[in-house]
Amino acid sequence: MTTTEPATSIRDLSDDEFETTYRADRFTASVIANRLKYVVEHMSTAFLREAFSPIIRDWYDFACTISGPPEHDYRMAVVSNSLTVFLGSMPDAVRNAVEEYGPENLAPGDVLICNDPNRGGRHVNDVLFTRPVFVDGRIVAFVNICAHQLDMGGTVPGGFSATKANTYENGLVIPPVLMWSGDAPVRSTFSMIFDNSRFGAMLLPDFKSMHQQLQLGERLVHENIDRYGLDAVLGTLRYTCDTSADRMRDALAAVPDGDYHGAATLDADGLDDSISYTVHVTLRKRGEEIEADLSGTSAQARTCINCGITDAKTALGVALTMLLDPEIPFTSGTWRHVDLVAPAGTLVTAMPPEGAPMMFWEASGTLLAAVFDALNPVLGERAVGGDYGSTNTHNASGLRADGSFWTSATQCGGEHGPWGATRDGDGDSYTVLFNLNNLDPATETIEHDSPVVVLRKEHAIDTGGAGRHRGGAANLKDSLWLTDAEQYLSPFRTKEPSGVGANGGRPGPNGAMWIFPGVDGRGPDALVATTDDVYAGSTPVAGVLDPRSKALDPEHGTYHHFGGQKAWRTTAGSVLRCLTNGGGGWGAPFERDPRKVLADVRDEYVSVEGAARDYGVVIVGDPHFDPENLRIDEAATAALRGPA
Amino acid sequence: MTQAPTQEREPVEGTCPRCGAPELRRYPVNSEGGWFEVVKCQRCLCSVSREHGPRLGPIQLLSDLL
Ligand SMILES: [Zn+2]
Repeated sequence: MTTTEPATSIRDLSDDEFETTYRADRFTASVIANRLKYVVEHMSTAFLREAFSPIIRDWYDFACTISGPPEHDYRMAVVSNSLTVFLGSMPDAVRNAVEEYGPENLAPGDVLICNDPNRGGRHVNDVLFTRPVFVDGRIVAFVNICAHQLDMGGTVPGGFSATKANTYENGLVIPPVLMWSGDAPVRSTFSMIFDNSRFGAMLLPDFKSMHQQLQLGERLVHENIDRYGLDAVLGTLRYTCDTSADRMRDALAAVPDGDYHGAATLDADGLDDSISYTVHVTLRKRGEEIEADLSGTSAQARTCINCGITDAKTALGVALTMLLDPEIPFTSGTWRHVDLVAPAGTLVTAMPPEGAPMMFWEASGTLLAAVFDALNPVLGERAVGGDYGSTNTHNASGLRADGSFWTSATQCGGEHGPWGATRDGDGDSYTVLFNLNNLDPATETIEHDSPVVVLRKEHAIDTGGAGRHRGGAANLKDSLWLTDAEQYLSPFRTKEPSGVGANGGRPGPNGAMWIFPGVDGRGPDALVATTDDVYAGSTPVAGVLDPRSKALDPEHGTYHHFGGQKAWRTTAGSVLRCLTNGGGGWGAPFERDPRKVLADVRDEYVSVEGAARDYGVVIVGDPHFDPENLRIDEAATAALRGPA
Repeated sequence: MTQAPTQEREPVEGTCPRCGAPELRRYPVNSEGGWFEVVKCQRCLCSVSREHGPRLGPIQLLSDLL
């Protein structure tokens, strides 16, 4: 909220003013805030332990929050340590669902659900479950879970695909409806989901678990009210939101006033590669306020790679938090001093029914990259290198020899990859995108659940953007498919580097995807090598590649479109290789401590050639067969690096 | 290819109460609390007025006509 009066910081309140404002003293408010944090973490832990669905159990694809009552405008005050793309959307999702249903129509023991991206962001698989907490007949809070369901109908099993054309192909849209009424299941709601989606037998126990966790959350909120009083708990809900707003305002005030433009580009939608999509953002910063205008962003895509306004707002909040002050608690207050100016019908403000969102985090992640592009030059040393840019999502299905159906979602593509470097150090090499925050499925689980063997899952050499602090290394994953399969592959950022450099650092190189076809139903006799000469016999799926060798060639290669085949049909014995983009470096590469370059060569993050070429450091020895005797050639290094 | 959408900002009479600039404009924004119809100074970003906008912004539900 922007007003003409200067706002008072919480820290400037006297003890009396604090207690009048929040109905608790500072100490008690902090204790209650931490106890409520415990509530959402306890709900999360319990759900993680009980869930059957692999995307919950192995990916942590859910989030829990507590939000305030209608008279608090449903502000989200407490969040679990999980997916930011969920958390950022949940303030609006809860408010929009409850307001449409009517808070006056809710009763104790109700669970309201909604999965409509237009009402609350994300995609149809991510269902919001919200439960009112009553005291003396009045709603005082909501406990909420948003969780990815393994299937929500639509034309592609599992849902993950860039090829669907509209809302109707995307999957089942659920408006705000009750799933439990007074803690009794509403049969018609369960049937609506089970009759329109796959894997109902896995969804049902997860639904029951979520009901349990919402009851647990409600009980724990009540315990706090019983112990500290309703006024203190309600005051604390306001206090946590005000804290975020306060700290974001301070962080914004430290950015020089000005107009800053940034952009980032998605390669293509799922239809063809005739259009690439650019997100433009103009950040106008004045005093303690900022406005982000998305005007000029490409019109919404023709297939389901779009996202909605709520997701765009999430990306903006995440980007500002990461760049300006990562310690800011993520609540509704994060956006109090931030206005998003969002013309309808862009890639990141898509309109139904044509502007379908499925790969929504890819579009919103591109906005996040555009905000980095706008602010990094202003931030100097506080600039942050880019990440791997896309989860390069894989989704496959097929039949086993016994005729049973299998599916593998978000496990065998390039879902995990590196972050960029910062002033504090090198980028992490195997994590998830800036706008996510979740787990990595165990290889044993992947191989248990689907007829696949994970052959490689490794850091690729010379893929961290060079810098005084090196970007994280790209990940290279090979998977061997033991039956015929239909594979959907969705890498979105292979044309331009997503792992941009910061403060003089260099970008990480881009990745690609290839299929090495099986021969007579059998796979290769040995691991497929990682040298450039192996790709000539492959079927390229994505990336900018040399037309003849089909190896990476970012300067002269041709772009290969992941949607060139709607589903890539592979025969048994085929190997899929996914190479992510590398993370961006920070600071001038020739200023990197040569001992760190030596360690990187020792650990095979950097080759001997790369050390000389990218860092001006000459390493002598054999990193693979005699790593302990590697050494720096000081004189040759000085000659390469030139006068300091 | 469809043209890239742009947000129009309607000029409003008057001057900014904070900086005095005659640069007030009306347009929708999304912030804490969802959609707002605002009148803001284009020089210093001071909000002269902020009123709640429609719940889903530009998206209208047919069921709202029930
Ligand atoms: Zn002004």
